[in-house]
Amino acid sequence: MRVANMVPDVQYAMQQSQQALSSALQQVSTGLRVNQPSDDPAAAANMVSSLAESANVDQYTSNVSSVTSQMQTADSAISSVVTSLNAAITMGTSGASGTTSAANKQAIATQVEGVLSSVISQANTSFQGVYLFGGSATSTPPFVAASSAYTSAQVSTSPPLTATLPLTAGSVTTVSDASTGKTFVFVVTAGETISDLSAAIAGAATAGTLSAGTTATINATGQLQIGTNSSADGIVVTSNDPVLGAMSADSGTGVANAYAYVGNSSVNSVKVGDSMTIATNVPGDQLFTSGTNVVGSLNSLITALHTGTDAQIGAATAAVSTALNDVGEQRVPLDNTISELNSQDSYLSQEKLTLTTQETSLVGVNLATAATNLSEAETANSAVLAVASKVLPETLLNYLAPG
Amino acid sequence: MSLSTSLLTAVQSLVADTGALQITSNNIANANTPGYSRQLVVLQEATPTNDGNASLGNGVVLEGYQSVRDELVTSQIQQETQAQSGANAQLASMQQIQPTFTTSTNDIGTQMSALFTSISSLSTNPNNSAAGEAVLTAGQNLATAFNTTSSTLTTQQAGLNTQVTQDVSQINQLTQQIAALNPQLTQLNATGQSTGSVQDQQNQLVLSLSALTNVAVTQTANGVTLTTGNGTPLVVGSQSQALQTSTGSNGMEQVLDQNGTNITASITGGDLGGTIQTRDQTIPGLLNSLDTLANQFGAAFNAAQAQGFNQKGSAGTNFFTIPTTVTGSAAAISMAITDPTQIAASSDGTAGSNGNLANLSAVQTNALPAGETPGNAYASLVYQVGSLTSNATAESTATTASLLQLNNQLSSVSGVSIDEESSNLITYQTAYEAAARVVTTVQALFLVTMSMGTAAAD
Repeated sequence: MRVANMVPDVQYAMQQSQQALSSALQQVSTGLRVNQPSDDPAAAANMVSSLAESANVDQYTSNVSSVTSQMQTADSAISSVVTSLNAAITMGTSGASGTTSAANKQAIATQVEGVLSSVISQANTSFQGVYLFGGSATSTPPFVAASSAYTSAQVSTSPPLTATLPLTAGSVTTVSDASTGKTFVFVVTAGETISDLSAAIAGAATAGTLSAGTTATINATGQLQIGTNSSADGIVVTSNDPVLGAMSADSGTGVANAYAYVGNSSVNSVKVGDSMTIATNVPGDQLFTSGTNVVGSLNSLITALHTGTDAQIGAATAAVSTALNDVGEQRVPLDNTISELNSQDSYLSQEKLTLTTQETSLVGVNLATAATNLSEAETANSAVLAVASKVLPETLLNYLAPG
Repeated sequence: MSLSTSLLTAVQSLVADTGALQITSNNIANANTPGYSRQLVVLQEATPTNDGNASLGNGVVLEGYQSVRDELVTSQIQQETQAQSGANAQLASMQQIQPTFTTSTNDIGTQMSALFTSISSLSTNPNNSAAGEAVLTAGQNLATAFNTTSSTLTTQQAGLNTQVTQDVSQINQLTQQIAALNPQLTQLNATGQSTGSVQDQQNQLVLSLSALTNVAVTQTANGVTLTTGNGTPLVVGSQSQALQTSTGSNGMEQVLDQNGTNITASITGGDLGGTIQTRDQTIPGLLNSLDTLANQFGAAFNAAQAQGFNQKGSAGTNFFTIPTTVTGSAAAISMAITDPTQIAASSDGTAGSNGNLANLSAVQTNALPAGETPGNAYASLVYQVGSLTSNATAESTATTASLLQLNNQLSSVSGVSIDEESSNLITYQTAYEAAARVVTTVQALFLVTMSMGTAAAD
C-alpha cells in the first residue's frame, strides 16, 4: 500500500498510549479501578447496595454500643434495687421479731420508706434522656407519686362541664392505678360524651383495672373529678382532651408512699443487624408493680410496720423476699441481651471487614497489578515517542544535496 | 526535419516541465490541506510529423492534471463521520451527566443510605432532638440530591435543545455552499476543464455536513445530490432546501423540512442525530426512572410515616412533599415537616416510643411499586448511566479507529507524499535542464550553420 503520510498513525498511536498511561496513573493514584460508572457499570451499580449495607453495619455497630450502655445502666439500676430489697428484708425481719418495741417499728418503717423512695429513683433511671423502665413511654419518668383524686382544670374560661358534653374525638385520657399497678386508657371516638368516660371508668373499676370504687363525676363547680374510694389508693390521671383541660392532683389528697406507673407495657426495639432486633427496655410494670410487685410489697411492709402484728410484718417481709426473687429472674434476660450484644458487636466487625473486602474487589485495584500496568504503559508510551522521533523527520529531503 | 523543429520541441518540453513543476509545487504546497486530492501530471506525446518515410516525434504536450480519488472510500468516510459525530455528541452529554451518578458524598444513593442510618440512630433514643434533627437534615439532603440530579439532566437537555437550532443553521449554510458549487462543476465539465479543486472543496463541505447529520450522497458529473435520512432533498442541482426548527408541544425544537414536515425522528446520524437521540430518548428515559424513584420513595416514606404517631401523639403527617404526578417528582420533592417532633416515631401514640421507626426503616428493604427496593432502583439508574456512557465511549473509540483506517486508505490513494513529490521535483528539474541543454545545443548548431564558409568556420 502506498503510504503518503505517517503523521495520523503516529498521532493516533501517541493518543492511545497516552490514554493508557493516564488511566494507569489514575488507577495507581486513586487505588480504584472504577472511578466513574462507565468504568464498569455493573460494579458501580453493585457498589450502591454494598455502600448502603456498609453504612447500615456502621450504624448497627453504633446502635450496639448505645444499646449496650442503656442495658448496662438498666442492669446496674436493678442491681441497686436488689441491694435495697435485701436491706428491706433485713429491716422487716428485725421488725417482725417480738422483741422490737413499737417505737423501733416506726423507726424501721421510716427506713423502709427510704428504701422505697430509693427503689423508685432507680425505677426512674434514664440514660441520655431515655427512661429505661417506662415501656415505650421513654420520654417521661414512669413512676410518679399518686393522689387519690384529680380535677380537670377547666374552670371559668368555659361553661361548666355537663355529663352530655361531647369529648374531642381522638383525645386520650389515662388513669394509672398504684394499687392495681394497671393503667386505664380511654381514647375518644367521635360522639362520645363525658358520661361515656364515666361509664368506662366505672367498668374498669369493676373489671379490676382500677381500684374498686374509682369514679368520674362532675362536681358542684362543673369540673370533672376522678377519684378513688379510699384515700389510701393512689391514681395518676392525665388527659389531652381540650374539653377537659389538664387534670391536676387535688391538694391534700397525696397518698404517702404510693406511686403509680404511668409508662406502658410495650417495649422499644432497636435494629442491631439486618435480621436482629433487640428490645431495649423492660416495662416497669412487669419489674416493679404488676408482675413482681416490688412497690406493692414494700408498701405493705411499711403499712404492716406502722399498724400490723408481728405475723403480718413477717408475711409482708416474705412478700418482699418473693419480689426479690422475681426481680432476679427478670434480670436474667437483660444479662443475656447484654451478652448477645457483645457477640453481635464482634459479628458486625467481621461483617464490616467482609463488606470492605467486597468493595475492594468490586472497584478497587490490586496495587501490584496497577503499578505493573503503569510501568508497562510508561514503556509503551516511551516506545511510541521514540518511534515518532525516528519516523517523522525522515524524508528524502534529508538526503538530497543542498542546491 | 529541421533544427527549428528541434528547438520548438525543446521549448515545448520546457513549457511542459514548467507546468509539471508547478503541479508538483502545488501538491507540495497542499500536502497538509484537508480534503486535497493529489494531482497527477498528465503529459502526452505530441502528434508526430511524417517526413517521407520517417515519422518523427514532435515532443510533449502538457494536457493538465488529474486529481486522484477513490469515491467509495470517500463515501465510507462520510458514513463513518456521521457515526463518529453522533457517538461523540452522546458521549459529551453523558460525560456531563455521569458525575451526578458517581458515588460521592452528595449522590442520591449515599444520601438515601444516610437517611436510613439517621433513622436507625434515632431509634436508640427517640426523644433526642439532635437525632431527630439529623433525620430531618438527611431527608432534606436526599430531597436536594434528587433536585440536583434532576436539574443536571434538564439543564443538559436544554443545552442540547439549543444545539439542535445551531446544528440546523450550520446545515443550512453548508447545503447552500454545496449547492453553489454544483453549477461551477457543470460549467467546468462542459468546457472540459479540470474540476479537481472544486470537487475537493465540495467533498470537504459534504464531509463537514456528514459531521452534522446523516445525508445520502449521490455523485454525478455535475455535482452532488443530497437527501436526508427520510429522502427529503437538501441539495438538488444549484438549489439548496433549508431545514427549519419550530418548538414542539413538549417544548423541544423540532426539525422541519422545507414543506414543514417534521423529520426530527429520521435524523439519526451526525452531531444533530446524536444530540436529538440524547435529548429525546436518553435523558427523558433517565428522568422518568428518576422521577418514578423520587415519587414512589416519597410515597412509601409518607405511608410509613402515616402508620405512626408524632411526639405529640397525633397521627404522622407527610414527611416529603411530592407532586401527584410522577413527571417532575425528582425536581419538586421537598421536606414536608420541619420539626423533629413531627417525625412519626411512635407506634402507639406514646411520646418516646420508637415502634414506627421500624416501618420507616423498612422502606429501605421493601420493594417499591416499580418492583425494586429504592437502593436497587437507584443502582439500576447508575448501571444505566454507566452503560450508556461506556457504550458511547466504545462507539466513539471504534469509529475513531475505523476513520483512521479509512483516512489512511484514502490517503494512500489521494494523499500527497513529500518523498514522492521530491523525487518528481528532481525528475522534472532534470528534464527541464536537459531541454535547456537541447536549446543551447541547437543554438550552437545555428551558429555553426550561419558561419559556414567563413574563416571562423575553419
